[in-house]
Amino acid sequence: MHDLNPTDVNKETDVTVDTRDDAKTTATSTTKAETTTKADAKAASKARRGKLFADLAPLIGLAVLAIAFVLVGTSSGTNMGYAVETLINQSVIIIIIATGAIFIFAMGSFDISLGASTLVAAMVAGLVHNATGSLWLMLGAAILTAVATSLISATLAAVFNLPVFVTTVAMLSVLGAVAAALVQTTGGAQIRIDRAFSREYDTLAVKLIVAAVFLALCVFLFNYTRLGRVEKLVGGNPMTAKLTGVSMKLTAIAAFGIAGLGVGLGAFLTVLRTPTLTVTSASDIGMNILVAMVFGGMVISGGPRSRIYAAIIGGISMALLNQTMSIMLQGMAGGAGIAQMVRAVLFLAVVWLAASGFRTKVLPR
Amino acid sequence: MGSFMQRATGTLIIPVGVFAVVWTLATLDGASLFSSGDSLLILARATAVTMLTTMALAINLNSGRFDFSLGAMALASSTIGASVAINVGGGFPVMAAVTVLSGALLGAFSGFLYVTLRISPLVSSLGVTLLYEGLAFTITGGGNISFTQYPELVSFGKSLVAMTAVIIIALIGVYTVFDRSRFGSDYRSLITGQAAAVSAGVKEKGNAIKTYAVSGALMGVVGLIQASSKGLIEAGSINFSTIGIMFTAFLPMFVGGYIGRYSNDKLGYLLGALSMSVIGLGYSALKLTSAQQSLITALLLVVFLIFLSNEERVGRWWRKVKGGNRTPQQPSDTDAAQSVGTGAR
Repeated sequence: MHDLNPTDVNKETDVTVDTRDDAKTTATSTTKAETTTKADAKAASKARRGKLFADLAPLIGLAVLAIAFVLVGTSSGTNMGYAVETLINQSVIIIIIATGAIFIFAMGSFDISLGASTLVAAMVAGLVHNATGSLWLMLGAAILTAVATSLISATLAAVFNLPVFVTTVAMLSVLGAVAAALVQTTGGAQIRIDRAFSREYDTLAVKLIVAAVFLALCVFLFNYTRLGRVEKLVGGNPMTAKLTGVSMKLTAIAAFGIAGLGVGLGAFLTVLRTPTLTVTSASDIGMNILVAMVFGGMVISGGPRSRIYAAIIGGISMALLNQTMSIMLQGMAGGAGIAQMVRAVLFLAVVWLAASGFRTKVLPR
Repeated sequence: MGSFMQRATGTLIIPVGVFAVVWTLATLDGASLFSSGDSLLILARATAVTMLTTMALAINLNSGRFDFSLGAMALASSTIGASVAINVGGGFPVMAAVTVLSGALLGAFSGFLYVTLRISPLVSSLGVTLLYEGLAFTITGGGNISFTQYPELVSFGKSLVAMTAVIIIALIGVYTVFDRSRFGSDYRSLITGQAAAVSAGVKEKGNAIKTYAVSGALMGVVGLIQASSKGLIEAGSINFSTIGIMFTAFLPMFVGGYIGRYSNDKLGYLLGALSMSVIGLGYSALKLTSAQQSLITALLLVVFLIFLSNEERVGRWWRKVKGGNRTPQQPSDTDAAQSVGTGAR
């Protein structure tokens, strides 16, 4: 593969100088230059195709998984209506939280405490509901707790110049301790809200409305406002962003605030879906958010290649894969382990394809 | 001599300070750090596990490679080792050899995936975590492996001598491999200047795979210690439930990085792990709940990071308080907090 690089430009410049010497050299050099230009154009075209394929890889993965889900589901006589409902239930919380988190990841930052933050916000929401009986106060408590938690991480990192990732590692432990303390306030090992109340609102309509409103807000902010552009600029080149007057601290705080809003809404839906919360509830959400984003084509280092739709594509893809594997491996001993290995292989394959147009000579870090 | 004193002070101030503070708090509370006969064993075992995990994390993180799969490698390797020892026989030597070898192979495979796929190491490690957790689950059908009925398999994790030997051998081994070998020179050159080192002929792919293999072998030993001390392997852990062990290594890693400025970072990881284990004994002596322990450990991490990231500011403030204008000698190493890249800011 022949990429355009500074060396090629120098070669062309040298050729131009040579053509001044004599006509024979000019003819030879011109032929060489034409050949080089053609080769470069071919290489550029190949690179463009590679990048297009890389961009489409997550969508292709989604389409393949959707076809597999329908084929496996119908051939095994599965109730597809119920399977689709389960699929939405499985993916909607992940999609909401992951979409908000894209604002953090687009900056090249990394928050590992999102799962723990979801649990604490859900627990606070549950306690508020038990104290007041109000749905709206419960929603408000979930959002306020999650945004506050998120902003604490951002402020700590911004004020004390701490690496964001390690700050969120510390927050993970703090939130785990807070969750344990919240559970102890009830005198038992769990926080429970009225099941009849949760069933009333744990409906597809509520989930889809919450998801649609939040996703529309995120798409608008990320794709059509200065905030989204700045997030990608900071992720792509923080020095340039700083030199162009971007406030890194405010940008980080805005990103964490939006992510906090997503976590709050996710926590609200979590407490409706799982009215009995323990310290282990939502324990896998944090990592599944990460997997969903990457599966959907999100670049972990952030920057201009960040896509707000990554969480949606990845979240649905993961849910489709889980559902398909559940149907296929039903009743098999160790089936969950095999399903997880298949998930790992597909995850790596999709990420590899998505990165295919962006390889460097040295290993990525 | 002054230089020696400075290095010795810098190396020992944290472990000695931690011991003094924890011992004082325990004494004030009327408790003892070494109240039971097993206290020294618990200290040695915790130090061994934390030191090995910290080394396994740090050797890749120093190169900007974040690895979520450490816990999964410990789980999968110990599952393989225990299964072979129980089904084939051979007792502890077979279990130990198979576990550590499996760890090294799993680590090498993880590195092979990374260099072959050429994707972000963090992302690659997510896939590897899922893969190895799934592997352990599939081997046992989701159940636990219990071998408390085999005394020879559980004696290793309950021996103070064995734990001390593990610490010494691992420290000397990792020091030799990374600080006293051609491989180690290449490894360090890739850390300080990746592109330049590759241009100069350093084989980056081979170096990365070997580093992952060492990391896997270290986690194999961790898996062996944990399995042997409990007589049980919870092989049904899936959905990223193995990543928790990695978080225990962050504070000792930063402490190790700090100590490394004055002596050697590998010795720093040992002293950082020892400090954390002493704090653990303090938690037990003071009868703190697990929530309180998590909170205090997290606060210690944040406070230490704030210190590392603002050391210059703290130094300026200290000089101002002392009223002196002498510029103190700055450590030549980069800031520990900055020197460990996560691939994310």
